[in-house]
Parts: sequence; C-alpha cells; structure tokens
Amino acid sequence: MIVVSNPWIAIGALAVVGVAIPLTMIAVSALLRPSVPEQGKRAVYESGEVPTGDTRIRFNIQYYMVALLFVVFDIETVLVFPWTVIYRDAVAQFGMGQVLLPMLLFIGVLIVGLAWAWRNGAVRWVTTPRAETGQSAD
Amino acid sequence: MSASLPTVTLQSGTPLPDSIRSLLGLPDGPVFEFIAAVIASSVIAAALLGLVAVSGIWGKRKITAAFTDRIAVNRHGPFGLLIIVADAVRLLSKELIVPDGVDRPAWDIAPIVMAGSALLGFAVIPMGNGLQIADPEVGLAYVFAVASIASVGLVMAGYSSNNKYSLLGGLRAVAQNLAYEIPLIITAASVVIFAGTLRMSGIVGAQAETLVSVAGIGIPSWYAFVNPFAFVLFMAANLAEVGRNPFDIPEAPTEIVAGWQTEYSSVYFVLCYLSEFIHIFLGGAIIATVFLGGPAGPVLPGVVWFVIKMVAVYLFTQWARSAVPRVRIDQLIEIGWKGMLVLSFANLVLTAVIVGLTV
Repeated sequence: MIVVSNPWIAIGALAVVGVAIPLTMIAVSALLRPSVPEQGKRAVYESGEVPTGDTRIRFNIQYYMVALLFVVFDIETVLVFPWTVIYRDAVAQFGMGQVLLPMLLFIGVLIVGLAWAWRNGAVRWVTTPRAETGQSAD
Repeated sequence: MSASLPTVTLQSGTPLPDSIRSLLGLPDGPVFEFIAAVIASSVIAAALLGLVAVSGIWGKRKITAAFTDRIAVNRHGPFGLLIIVADAVRLLSKELIVPDGVDRPAWDIAPIVMAGSALLGFAVIPMGNGLQIADPEVGLAYVFAVASIASVGLVMAGYSSNNKYSLLGGLRAVAQNLAYEIPLIITAASVVIFAGTLRMSGIVGAQAETLVSVAGIGIPSWYAFVNPFAFVLFMAANLAEVGRNPFDIPEAPTEIVAGWQTEYSSVYFVLCYLSEFIHIFLGGAIIATVFLGGPAGPVLPGVVWFVIKMVAVYLFTQWARSAVPRVRIDQLIEIGWKGMLVLSFANLVLTAVIVGLTV
C-alpha cells in the first residue's frame, strides 16, 4: 500500500497550478488581443468626464480603530481554535467548570473591551455634520 | 473519470494525489508526490473552472433574468449554452487598456493573487469519492487563512488602479472583510467544539451519524441541523465574505461604478470575475463541508451531492443578489461589529455550555 504523502507538498502543487492558470490565460490573451493606442483611451475612468485631481491623496480610511480591534480579535480566534479542538475530551476528563470558566473569563475581557470601544465610538462610521443632520448638499 | 479513480470511504480516504500515484505506479518521494499532486490539482482546478464558466457566464444571466422576468441568452445552442464558449473567446481577445499612472507590478499581480488564493482554498475540501488534494490536521484554519489572502489582492487592485472609484471600492472591501472575518471564524469554531478536530475529513466524518429518525427516515447529524443558529450566522457572514447583497458595497455598481475592478479590462477583468466566482464556490464548499455533511447523501455518488450543495449555496447568493437591498457602509460596520460579532460569541459560549452539559 502506498504511503500517504505530505499534505503540504500537495498544497504547494495546487499553489503552483493556481498561479499557472492565470498566467496561461494572460499569455493566451496576449496572443489574441489587439493593441490600438489612441489619444485619451488611457485616461482613468470617471464616468466619462476628464479626470480631476490625483488619486494618491490623504484620505480618511475611517477604520483605523476598527483595524486595531480586528488584530485583537483575530489573535483571540487563534487562541480559541485549540480550545475548541480539545474541549469535548477535556470536559470528559476534568469537568466543565475547569475547562469552560477560563475561556469565559477570556472572552469576557474581550467583550468588555469591545463594549468600551463601542461606547467611545470606535466602531462608528464618522460622517460629516451635514450627513448627521440628514440635510443634502443642495 | 470517476470510474477510473479508486473509490475509497471518506473517513479512511486516500487523498487524490496518492490515488493517482498508486494508479500510475509512481514510487514514493517528494518529487513524485509533487508530480502526482500537480496532476490532481489540475483535474480539480479544471473542474472548478468549468463550473465557474457555466455559472458565471450562463447561469448568472439566466438566474437574474428569471428574477426580473426576462428570458436572457437563448440563441446560441440549446438554452443559449454556447454563449459560454463565445464569451470566453470574446473576453480573452479584448484589448487590454492600461490606464495612466497605474502602479504597474501591483496592478498586474492583484488579479493573479485573487484568483490563485481562491483556488488554493480548495486544497483541503473533501469532495467525495476520494477527491481531496490534501488533508492536513489544520484544514479548517488553513481554508480561512488562504481565503483571506484575497483581501490583499483587493487592496492592491484598489490602490494601484489610480482611480477614485477603485480606491473607495478597495477600502470598502477591507472594512467589510475586517468586520465579517471574525464572526465567520468564531462561528466555524463553534462547530469544531462538536467535531473535536480541524481536519476537514474528520468534520465530515463527525456528521455521519443519525440525529433523529422521523417516520423511518433518518435525519443525519449535519451541523446545520444540530446548530441551526450557527448555520444562519455563517450563511450571513459568508455573504459578506464573498461580497454579495446585502453586503456588496465593495462593488456597488450604482454607487462606485465597479469598485476595485473599475479599471480592469480584457484578461484581467476575466481573472477578477473568475476569482469572485471561485470565492463564492469556495464559500459554498466550506458551508457544505462544515454544515451540510460534505459529500454525504443518499443514492447519488458523493461528489454529485457535494456539487449540488455547493451550487445550492451559489443559488442562495444569486437570490440574495436579486432580492435583498444593499446596506450602507456605516450600517455594514455596525451590523458586523455590534451585531454579528456579539451573536457569534454568544453562539460559541452557548454551544460550549450545551456540549459540556451533554458530555
């Protein structure tokens, strides 16, 4: 009987195939497609108008605090996963209190943190005063 | 094709590369394992591309037409099916217009990153009849990890296009993925409490028992039946993950043209479109595996059931796309962080308590 191979070799092979397919499509398309450079064709699309200003500007991305929260919760999911895997066996061995309570405490701390961020408006989309009062621009 | 593959039971299933290796009589060793895995990956990827071509080019038009009381494509071959060939050639032979001021390497790499990462997720999905490329111990964590690589591609596409709509679309995509990634993963973690393993074949195997028998028909213990609350949460978070209504603000055609893919034409557009549909099917594959018993089902072969379940999730996203209005970006952030996140933690704790009491 054949030995089951290392799964990560197979995943690496799929990664190679996953990059090779788009590259092949690009190559096939390069052979098929025409190239007719014309004046104005390369302008960025702004609904048919002549583009105004540059895109590389300072821009309020709104979710700086949300991104920080995400990092916290993402790491937390990493810590939750191993706990879920052993949960059933651990409860059978040590009883529910010893297995569940520490995780409840851990999640509780995070929920308190979320509530604090919530109260401070970190997960609120910042809008202009005009939008807040519901009046339109014109 | 499936006749020539050695059929194996799922719990003790041999991954597809190993089946191919024994079929071709290749010896052990990393090089031969790699060659067999490349063949297996090509088979799976080709099947997926076929599915995407049918559903993305033909199915989507027919479904949207049915919802809006139209007929859609019906002139090319039976039911207009040959439009798939015509459209594939048409899209590949379009002129590629590179706009002024794009960040060249990033703009070119972004579609490849998106399409590649979506395909990579399928590595660990058990599709029945031994059609699984690899079965690592961390399967479920792996599939979420590679599925979220696409966000990097979205940011690259949005920023490098030098287009205001693209920038807005890219930023919205990130805000959305940040808000819905955690509910998605925490809800999946609540299922792991039942299964006790992250291995995909193990999760499928744990759903094989009968939950209850109603009038002689056994209802299997699929986690959609065992924990319907988690199933609903996951379906909702998955809609946000694949960017379909009510969470389609990264594209929002009536607001920001096409979002992050505004400036992509020709083959790059094909790749963006392809990656979106592969992502929808990856979402369907995860839901089928984690909540719907994977390839389990009566009479028909496992792989057929798997495709049926995956297509069912695809049809659900198309229904949502046609029937549900879009939420605003501020509503989306609030639903994600104040609603879904809290509900997903409530689900995790409740599941832990219930499982703990029944052990």
